[in-house]
Amino acid sequence: MSQRVEHTLACYGTAIAAAAIFVLFAVAAPNFIHISNLLEILKDSSFLAILGLGFSLSFVTAELDLSFANICSLAAVVTGGLIHEEVSPWLAVLAGLVTGIAGGALNGFLVTRLKIPSLIATLGTASAANGLAFAETGGVAFVGRWDPTFLGVARGSVLGIPNLVLWTAVAAALVQFLLTATRLGMRMIFVGEADEAARLAGVKVRWMKFMGLSLSGLTAGFVAVLLTAHLNSAAPNMAGDFLLTSIAAVLVGMTMFQPGRVNVPGTLLGAFMIGMLGNGLVLLGAPYYVQDILIGVILVASVGLSAATLKKAAFGL
Amino acid sequence: MKKIVCSMTILGALTLAAPAHAFTLGIIAFQMSSETHARCANAAADEAKKKSWTVEVLNSGGSLPTHAAQIEDLIQKKVDALIICMGKPVETDSQLADAQKAGIPVVTAVAGASPHTLFDVEVNEFQNGAVAAAYLLSKIDYRGNILEERFEQNVATRERDKVLDAVLSENQAVKVIGVHTMARTKTWQQDVRNGMHALILQNKGNVQGIWASFDGQAYIIDDILQAQGMKKGDVVLVSLDGGPETYRRIKDPNSLLSATVAIPFEQIGQTAVDAVDKIVVHHVPKQQLASGPYILLNATLVDASNVDTMMKP
Repeated sequence: MSQRVEHTLACYGTAIAAAAIFVLFAVAAPNFIHISNLLEILKDSSFLAILGLGFSLSFVTAELDLSFANICSLAAVVTGGLIHEEVSPWLAVLAGLVTGIAGGALNGFLVTRLKIPSLIATLGTASAANGLAFAETGGVAFVGRWDPTFLGVARGSVLGIPNLVLWTAVAAALVQFLLTATRLGMRMIFVGEADEAARLAGVKVRWMKFMGLSLSGLTAGFVAVLLTAHLNSAAPNMAGDFLLTSIAAVLVGMTMFQPGRVNVPGTLLGAFMIGMLGNGLVLLGAPYYVQDILIGVILVASVGLSAATLKKAAFGL
Repeated sequence: MKKIVCSMTILGALTLAAPAHAFTLGIIAFQMSSETHARCANAAADEAKKKSWTVEVLNSGGSLPTHAAQIEDLIQKKVDALIICMGKPVETDSQLADAQKAGIPVVTAVAGASPHTLFDVEVNEFQNGAVAAAYLLSKIDYRGNILEERFEQNVATRERDKVLDAVLSENQAVKVIGVHTMARTKTWQQDVRNGMHALILQNKGNVQGIWASFDGQAYIIDDILQAQGMKKGDVVLVSLDGGPETYRRIKDPNSLLSATVAIPFEQIGQTAVDAVDKIVVHHVPKQQLASGPYILLNATLVDASNVDTMMKP
């Protein structure tokens, strides 16, 4: 294989596979290519994408945040609980965001001040967040006929484009700007790639890691608000399933565009790919257990196209 | 590349396998790993296949966002009707409204009513809870100590537990000396084992009855009791749901499970399909099947006296 083809496959192999699957679904799955269905995929992928972007911000500083899904559920319960009590929706939104960033900051404190490895610290925070969410609700979801203005945050649209898609675009633009155009973002990446060198260069390593984990929490709070508005309810474990899929979106994203590195376009495409697979297989009529198997196989096969680069990335990590 | 080609071949085969103009029924089970959800969804699927319908069964995996997305996916697929087993109609109000707008009739099973669905095929869980609670108390002569294994995160079990509280409030000679509330859903077996093991050890010899809010919990408690060397009749263990394993235990002389209230999950799934058939295919007015938002089916108390009947194929 020529070097050029190899390079193309390494950088765009997963993206090419995603495009191929898209074309396949477009040909084979009834209604897949319909604009309303494509918007549905984008809407459904938006939670994965935004949570993935948040996870990326801790991951670039070489810290793992395994608590974002549970912090998201807790923030959703806080937001939903306040709305249920007929507190001003905007105060409830603020409370959700504060809950998210507080959870992230707690992670940051545990990791940077108490020197607890992020894997353990965030697992602990996740468990505590889960307990708090159940304590708040008693296991019963907050549901009701809530303020349409609040619901419109996630359910509305602008010029036919669903708000969830727009929020995803805003979040992606902000994270891209942060990582590529600000001193803070570049320092976070520097810390993630070589923290000792960064420290010697005068970068405040602990602060960068603290910021990464806090921003991951803030993103979880933001998704909590969107999720609560989208579903008109808040349940104590409502975001639990996003943990692995959001991380998968980030890891799939790391196999394309800038192989081996967290990157915003890759994360977005990774989330879209996961959403597209779920939707396309439903439209094809695949049995639910086959869907799980095929999603696993297709993801592995797609990423396999960039395997050589992945190996390099693994050694790099 | 071979893997991609292989996957594409499978997908292509799936597409070709679907009949062209068959009536398409979408079935969504909220949590297929729960036996009761699976029994309802599988029975509905089997019933629909008997009518030569194309059936697509989806599993929301217990996740609300997935559940909402799957309803939207089936709307996009333009299924002819939708059955949702143990779904969350209030939380997915917006998606059900979309289905109604798209002209897709929806029947829910053990989920609760919604203005956007035809009706919910239900059993009365308050009534079931009352039957099980009254049975438990009658078997311990309305006096003594009981332990409770509860589950607050599920509507049906929560209703059963609340009715038990109401029945107990009228029977002051029965004391609740220990309560464990199942908190986890994915590792619930371990959760129940840990909680009840501790309570049983703590209160050994001082317990006359045990309440389990569903049969899965009762199996675990039964195993703990047997491991403690207890024999049938030492403690009255009562739960709800029914099914072959429950009936086997009720009949088993070594098991301490005394009774269950058998919910006809298969019949619920079949009734939902029959309702779709009548209303959507044969255009029978909805009011002829149910005057309100519910079709209520009956549950059966099963103990040693009638378990043989329930075990017949």
